[in-house]
Amino acid sequence: MTMRAQTGTSGTTIFHPLRRAFGNGTLIVAAIYVALFALYAATQKGVFAISEINDLFNNALPLSVAAAGGTFVVLTRGFDLSVGGVVALSNVMVATVVGDGWPGGLAGLAMVLAIGLIVGAFNGFLVAYVGLQSIASTLGTMIVCSGLALVVLDAPGGTVPDFISNNLTDLAFDTIPVAALVVAALMAIWLVLRRTDFGIALYAIGADETAAGLAGISVARTKFFAYCIAGMLYGVAGYTLSAQTATGNPNSGNAYLLLTFAAIAVGGTAFSGGRGGVIGSMLGAATLTLLQKVLFSTGVSSFYTGIFQGAVMILAVLIAALSARLARGAQA
Amino acid sequence: MSAPVPMLVARDVAKSYGPTRALRRFTIDVTPGEVHALVGENGAGKSTLVKILSGAVALDAGEITLQGRPFGPRTPLEARAAGVSTAFQELSLLPNLSVAVNLMLPRQLRGVHGLASGSRNEARVRNILDEFDVADINPRSLVGDLSLAQKQRVEIVRAVSRHPKLLILDEPTAALAEPEWLFRIVERLSGGGTAILYISHRLGEVRRLCTRGTILRNGETIGTVDLAGTRDADIFRMMVGGTLAEPQVRIPTSARAYQGPPAIKVTNLVGASVHGVSFELARGEILGVAALEGQGQRQLLRMLAGAERTISGTIEANGVVIRPSSPAKALRGGAGIGFVPEERKTEGIFLSLSTAANISLPIIRRLTRFGLIDRGRERARVREEARQVDLAEHYLDLKVAALSGGNQQKALIGRVLLSGARQLVLFDPTRGVDVGTKQVIYTVIRRFAEAGGSVLIYSTELAELVHLADRCLALYRGAISGELSGAALSESALLALATGHALEAAE
Repeated sequence: MTMRAQTGTSGTTIFHPLRRAFGNGTLIVAAIYVALFALYAATQKGVFAISEINDLFNNALPLSVAAAGGTFVVLTRGFDLSVGGVVALSNVMVATVVGDGWPGGLAGLAMVLAIGLIVGAFNGFLVAYVGLQSIASTLGTMIVCSGLALVVLDAPGGTVPDFISNNLTDLAFDTIPVAALVVAALMAIWLVLRRTDFGIALYAIGADETAAGLAGISVARTKFFAYCIAGMLYGVAGYTLSAQTATGNPNSGNAYLLLTFAAIAVGGTAFSGGRGGVIGSMLGAATLTLLQKVLFSTGVSSFYTGIFQGAVMILAVLIAALSARLARGAQA
Repeated sequence: MSAPVPMLVARDVAKSYGPTRALRRFTIDVTPGEVHALVGENGAGKSTLVKILSGAVALDAGEITLQGRPFGPRTPLEARAAGVSTAFQELSLLPNLSVAVNLMLPRQLRGVHGLASGSRNEARVRNILDEFDVADINPRSLVGDLSLAQKQRVEIVRAVSRHPKLLILDEPTAALAEPEWLFRIVERLSGGGTAILYISHRLGEVRRLCTRGTILRNGETIGTVDLAGTRDADIFRMMVGGTLAEPQVRIPTSARAYQGPPAIKVTNLVGASVHGVSFELARGEILGVAALEGQGQRQLLRMLAGAERTISGTIEANGVVIRPSSPAKALRGGAGIGFVPEERKTEGIFLSLSTAANISLPIIRRLTRFGLIDRGRERARVREEARQVDLAEHYLDLKVAALSGGNQQKALIGRVLLSGARQLVLFDPTRGVDVGTKQVIYTVIRRFAEAGGSVLIYSTELAELVHLADRCLALYRGAISGELSGAALSESALLALATGHALEAAE
């Protein structure tokens, strides 16, 4: 008994620094991304050109932001399907009612944040305070938002103000992709948040809601805010998507629903809650988008994209499961 | 009730969960600096009381005061702010967070940057752990990586480190290797004026630490006794109640002797939480298993039924060694062990199928003609079996989910009987069923044994075992702590064995 306990402790100290720094999953997805990028660089010329790198960031940004949002909810062991609806609604709103110039750009951003916050608060209220199942209630809000998007714009069209579509996809100071700045800002916000009581409470609730409550955490309030933050990030995802496509499409959210969850899984966040993080999810989203590019550059038909994306997701989850088993084995 | 202001006073506290009355009339008073024991059987209402005092659930009726002021915490934080902290039996630690973070929940110490500071937390927690003499736990370790005994110490340290006015310790030594460590802490805190509510099954500990004890039975305070003047046997009697009704006449079903090897023979069986158990179950015998929660009974019964892996040891059925790897294999292949598991909703029954289909499931292959189910034959067999277990016929076409818990259990037992099992392994078959259904189940079990079948039954109700079994084993910490039969088989004696006390403790 004592022997076991001792080996257990020493096993911990070996794994701890790494786990503390990255979390198992983040390390894995980073490795996958690097491998994929190497393949990309080998098959495609000029990938290190600044314009190519800018493209890479631009393509990955909307999904990364959406996955970052979804992670807040998944960490609490919830599922938030409203992402598809909020992305679409934000997109068509930006394409129809937003004016040009920086005032329009800022007003548009405020608008998508408000849309996301309203939807997120509604989800959070239903899940945290009414006690409904998260999948059921967010499926409902997703369908409502998708419907609203069709009311706003019944077919692809509209125009996204140039201010948004140009500036968000451009290089800042001719050197740094603006999209990279957005990514960096989100990661920085996350690194701050996860060191607050709220951030720690997310992990606690995901691991064991009852125990978290007994330990003094306000479970309902934490969950509520998780859905609010998630909603706002979905709104931002719709905003950045608008900047990419420069047009409105009421069906634009459809692809985001499943890919968001795939990105979160690839990024090492466990659907069972309490494990993972936003940075992993954003890397996961980047991996899935890079994969599309690699398939294109290696001449694989785009019809196969889904197959490979699914395979990468399973691979990432598999590696995470195996490494967790390995870590446990090292302790036993 | 004279000199000091009592720390905790509770009067007629009641709490129900739906139709279940977990607490009916709980009354207690605890003075400052007192270590007050709270004892009672499983299900007596102790954990409900702990939840009320910790702010996890609200009471329905009655009143509680803390230092003379009304006390009704709505959240665990309110309870803590009022000076009540609890070391929970089921532990309220988060496995994916470090010891330091767990101890500081829900508010971490902040660094100069205003964010949670790992180093400050760890330094503070190191001090706390040192203060309470815990040297072998690193504050940076994840709680999930600790041994159960270490977790329990962290849970206790977390509760005591808040310097509470009232400390609640719920089965604090269940996993502790050296309880002396806890006793020192308890003595230190009570010396400083903290009132401690000490909940334990272990009378030895209780006697060592506490002067008074309150006995809880069926959600009611039976009495508060001066422990020094009360014998263990009397305490056990107060816990189980019904002393006068005890000598029930039982007709031992194994009176008829059967020839041949025992129906089940277990030799040195080792598995998760089971450490070398040996026993024999004769044909026509009803063998009871008594144990407190989590003493390995679940694993033992599941191993016999092939639902859990055995590490070593042998199981023989009718003289043949068997290695059941699934409940289906335990049932077939000559072993003939039928299993009624504890969680009928998740393990036992198909809620969306009709009752008849549930009952006929295990023998459906024998009811087919040209590969199709012969509905007529199915109907006849099921009807026959339903009569056996006293299940009204009109239930057979309903979905099982629509049946009451008692009728579901009847259907489940009916199914096991129909499957042709010759040995029954029953895990708490009467849990959550009404009195009438209990009687039916007892009758079914007796009839089964009289017809030469053998029954191994675990029950959380000791009275049931005394009533039903020919012989009864007590399990304690994964091993058999004793065996009782005939006149010696009484609730208080069983309880003494199940709590790890020598037989003579109960006379």
